[in-house]
Amino acid sequence: VKRLLGVALGILTAIGGFVDIGDLVTNAVVGSRFGLSLVWVVLVGVIGICVFANMSGRVAAASGRATFEVIRERLGPRAGLANLSASFLINLMTVTAEIGGIALALQLASSVNYLLWIPLAAVAVWLVIWRVKFSIMENVTGLLGLTLIVFAVALFLLKPDWGNLASQAIPAVPAAETGATYWYFAIALFGAAMTPYEVFFFSSGAVEEGWKIKDLIQSRINVLVGFPLGGLLSVAIAACAAVVLLPAGIAVTSLSQVILPVAAGAGKLGLAVVLLGLVAATFGAALETTLSSGYTLAQFFGWSWGKFRKPAEAARFHLAMIICLLVGIAVLATGVDPVLVTEYSVVFSAVALPLTYLPILIVANDPQYMGKHVNGRGVNVVAMVYLVVILVASLAAIPLMIVTGAGA
Amino acid sequence: MVVIRTNRACPEAGGKVLTRPAGARTGRRTLATVACRWAPLAVAFLGAVLTSCSAGSAVTDTVATAAQDSSSAIATAKLAVGLDSGGKLTRAATSTTLDDALKEVQASRDTVLRLSPTSPEDRQVREEALKVLDSSAASLTTARNAVSSDDGGPSLSDGARALAAAEDALSQLTSKVGKK
Repeated sequence: VKRLLGVALGILTAIGGFVDIGDLVTNAVVGSRFGLSLVWVVLVGVIGICVFANMSGRVAAASGRATFEVIRERLGPRAGLANLSASFLINLMTVTAEIGGIALALQLASSVNYLLWIPLAAVAVWLVIWRVKFSIMENVTGLLGLTLIVFAVALFLLKPDWGNLASQAIPAVPAAETGATYWYFAIALFGAAMTPYEVFFFSSGAVEEGWKIKDLIQSRINVLVGFPLGGLLSVAIAACAAVVLLPAGIAVTSLSQVILPVAAGAGKLGLAVVLLGLVAATFGAALETTLSSGYTLAQFFGWSWGKFRKPAEAARFHLAMIICLLVGIAVLATGVDPVLVTEYSVVFSAVALPLTYLPILIVANDPQYMGKHVNGRGVNVVAMVYLVVILVASLAAIPLMIVTGAGA
Repeated sequence: MVVIRTNRACPEAGGKVLTRPAGARTGRRTLATVACRWAPLAVAFLGAVLTSCSAGSAVTDTVATAAQDSSSAIATAKLAVGLDSGGKLTRAATSTTLDDALKEVQASRDTVLRLSPTSPEDRQVREEALKVLDSSAASLTTARNAVSSDDGGPSLSDGARALAAAEDALSQLTSKVGKK
């Protein structure tokens, strides 16, 4: 029974932890402008993140070490540095976006300007990382993030024309949009679903929690059930926007617009739940991205790391995270729109994807680290197909950003 | 724990140091020389093409985009005020939504203000757009006052009426300058 509860908890936290500010904003923007015509990208992204998260979890369980640590050792410092630079910069952007997301959600709840919430949000993130146990931190934010299911509930309460909604799911460029914009947002959605920090957090978390080979089945269930259900949550966000905002001619540019369909469908109770979910999802993701920044730096430079150690025993790891949070505060203090930071972060995530996922694939095929747990043929075929997709998305992201004026 | 030591320079080469053939370096220098010679011409050509493509349509394009973005902001405000009237949105959420909408309209107004029209027609379009955007911002202020004041200021229905008028004006502006 205890094991079953563990599996259930793992799945629930995987669902609740799947959605972050990138998913929230990008899915709402896409739903309000393209309806459900880009829903296929969520499916492609979810399959991709399942393949690579599962792979990095297996690397951690088989080698007893985090993926990034192994990449640096297996591929050498140069390749490790390329991987670190790309992943770390994206992480930093995502940390900034998530802290901004917490502040914006708190503004929606209180009407106090988000700039005043930013330092408080960052201090809260730091305190939790400093004081709270890894498993409690992960489970509480994951379970509270589950309240975002209110998007799915609101969708049912809005009583949409399901046939019309389903017909929108056919991939097509809407009349009001261009092909370039369609593909730009396809890449943004893909980047949001496959954000690099997720795999680094997943594999480092596996080491934090001391996974062994016997834990692989549970981790596989968490990933293969939790992430697709999290993907459904993303689709519900897009569908809510498609049902309420698209017909009203509203193109999402702020977080306040994202919650309107929930209020329309589920009233003030729904609003309270969605605000709780927004704070939990962004707070949880802020913890994960801040930790991922510390993990990648510490694992590259060979510092002592991990929340399983006392902060004094991993001083540089904790200092690096504090600096990341300060950088995030400084960027947001300039008045830059956190939603804009989010939109750019998901696109740059797509640009950095090959540098993140290729090394994982190489390490997962190395029998010296993996023993008999190297990738099977089927996994390698799927991963190779994804690498091609990732490469195409990565190469096309910047030109499309320029051509479309960042999707304007 | 697995520890593997590899040749960091090139593990696949089994420790051998690989050197680039001499010709390769010369070839790259030749390519670089050619690239340097033709790059300014290519940039000038690209600039000319881009200028010719955008000439004459910058004002109407910018105004069309501003009108579209502002229409979206006004539609958002209308939805929020409607939900607030129906008791579905809290005062904090409504006022934040209206603030965001106002920011959007002000950003659109700033882009129109920065335009430098060169023809009388463009000047007229810009003046008209500024008037409409100003009235849109004013309607959002009315709606915001309606949400936040309890002292006999404008009511929510006043706010909704002001927003509806702004929506009409923006729709007329959009049809005049054409959709982007």
